[in-house]
Amino acid sequence: MTVIVELFGVARQCAGVAKTEAQGARLGDVLVDLAGRFPRLAAECIDGSRLRHGYLANLNGARFIRDPATVVAPGDSLLILATDAGG
Amino acid sequence: MSTPGYHGCYLRVDVTSGESQRIAIDESALRNYLGGSGLGVYLLLREGAATADPLSPEAPLAFVYSPLVGSPLTTSAKFAVVGRSPLTHRINDSLSSSHFAIAGKRTGCDALLVVGRAKEPSILIVDDGQARLEPAGALWGLDCPAAELQLRARLGADYQVAVIGPAGERQVRFATISHDGRHAGRGGSGAVLGAKNIKAIAVRGTQRTAWHSPAELVALAKQLSEKSFGPATAKYRELGTATNLLVFNRLGALPTRNFQQGTFAGAEALSPEQMVLGREKTRASCAACTIGCEHIYGLRTTGEKSAGVRMEYESLFALGPLCNVGDADTVLAAARRCDELGLDTISTGGTIAFAMECVERGLLDEPWLQFGDGPSLLRAIEAIGRREGLGNLAAEGSRRMALVIGKDAIAFAPQVKGLEIPGYEPRALQTMALGFAVGSRGADHNRSGAYEVDFSESTDRRRPGLEAAHAAVETEDRAALMDSLILCKFLRGVFVDFFAEASEMLNLVTGWNTTPAELRQTARRIVTAKKHFNVLAGWKPGEDTLPARFFNNPLPGDPAATMTPAGLQALIEAYNTARGWTSDGYPSVEQLSGLGEVVP
Repeated sequence: MTVIVELFGVARQCAGVAKTEAQGARLGDVLVDLAGRFPRLAAECIDGSRLRHGYLANLNGARFIRDPATVVAPGDSLLILATDAGG
Repeated sequence: MSTPGYHGCYLRVDVTSGESQRIAIDESALRNYLGGSGLGVYLLLREGAATADPLSPEAPLAFVYSPLVGSPLTTSAKFAVVGRSPLTHRINDSLSSSHFAIAGKRTGCDALLVVGRAKEPSILIVDDGQARLEPAGALWGLDCPAAELQLRARLGADYQVAVIGPAGERQVRFATISHDGRHAGRGGSGAVLGAKNIKAIAVRGTQRTAWHSPAELVALAKQLSEKSFGPATAKYRELGTATNLLVFNRLGALPTRNFQQGTFAGAEALSPEQMVLGREKTRASCAACTIGCEHIYGLRTTGEKSAGVRMEYESLFALGPLCNVGDADTVLAAARRCDELGLDTISTGGTIAFAMECVERGLLDEPWLQFGDGPSLLRAIEAIGRREGLGNLAAEGSRRMALVIGKDAIAFAPQVKGLEIPGYEPRALQTMALGFAVGSRGADHNRSGAYEVDFSESTDRRRPGLEAAHAAVETEDRAALMDSLILCKFLRGVFVDFFAEASEMLNLVTGWNTTPAELRQTARRIVTAKKHFNVLAGWKPGEDTLPARFFNNPLPGDPAATMTPAGLQALIEAYNTARGWTSDGYPSVEQLSGLGEVVP
């Protein structure tokens, strides 16, 4: 199952890409797939099947999610960004 | 013998007569209000400042340090400038950082409070507790950086200085006070100083305060510094606050064209990731800070050697998308000119964007001022800073400007209580919309962190439940404590239990035995004291709202981002109830008695 992953800020900097595709039916699966392909992203943002403290995901620009068990659908956009929105 | 961390007094200087007085502050008041914003509002209530015209000689302006200033705790070199805002006529506490805080506290007082109006443009010098005035001479008229440089050259590098620019001299209602290029930015403190004929304040001193448990404090400070290098601050360290731009744009939360849209087509070009390409960029930090959040960009177009431009998200959004300007060099030049003139970038961008929409709607006959036109943005900034032409009206801020223009202009003036709205589109971030509506100094992202609730799994950002009001209160309480201790909010992510950790820090400095519960009460007292100030200043419940444009008018492309007056009102009532105030927002008699002797 393919989802579109959009990376922002430090996550983008670590991955070296703004957008990529990843495989998985749940958030945790997608993160494991990303960690396998982007070692710097894994080191900074991903711990196993979870996002590290300071990072958060958003599904389709609408709902913020963190639980690795959250189901994602084919074609969904998964945003990975910093938790802190302070300006 | 004063409490460790404090001098136990403030220096009150009347610049009309030049006389100064050292006035004691009871330990109970210090413990109840701590420092920074909290102690500032206490001093203002004590001075009876709520009804004084902010630009009159009677209006006090307080520069308030804190118990943690001078300690080894990272990010603690901060000070608050507290007064009644000439823009909102409500409480205003704007914070700035770095060596001025350390040197100011070493003058031997916990705050410097200025009243009066000097007979001629002057410099207020506080040398180890002794205050004197000197003529400003040729400094009057200078931009902020030049004034800082020349004043330190005149007095000596051991002085730290805070200055106003041409905007403060002309009492632009959103003028700033600059120290080392960092600005006490919001609400017009620079205009208050300008109205006192004070171009600059220079401080130096030798009086240090003791720490109750130095060894333990140093150990704790080391731990905190180590934590400050972790992922919770990576965003600030690596890219700076400007990295918000693309996130907000993706979420439809980036205010564009005076809040007519939530996305900006040119966002990518303004992002820090793009701006760094082909430009020099350096990083800097405040004194005693291990985060280093400042990202300073060189300008490509001028060809001149310049000090570069500190670029923060708020300046970027306000001078870029809000005015529909997508050229990075223009936005950088605009931010730099605001810093030089001493203008709050949010209010400047907000007021200009509002004027641009008035032109577009045919309400203002200034055809040169168009959305998306970089040169007209720069021209408008210059005109505001010098109060020339349209700038004289815009220097009053968007609310007063709208009232002069008439028709339905007030419906789309981007302000709450007169303070221009920061870069969080209220319809897309509706807990933040609540934070804006109830903010004591108006639309404010520094005293309320309610956007954190929107950026969480716990709430639907476009349809928050009433429980979001409780979470908003929590962010406001934490901000009140951080702004009073004072610690930088960019540290907040490193704390697991902020109130407990803050209590430990404060106890090691002061020797008090505060508990997390006490500090929570202290934070609530400070928020209530600000509300009390505002009530005395004329606050009415109807002020706690948003401009009409945000109601029953969904964001283009995002029909779910709709707000209704009834929905916002329900959140406001839930917020007031959570604070223990009446449902329309008045503190109880019991809460007022808890403010101490400042309430008769």
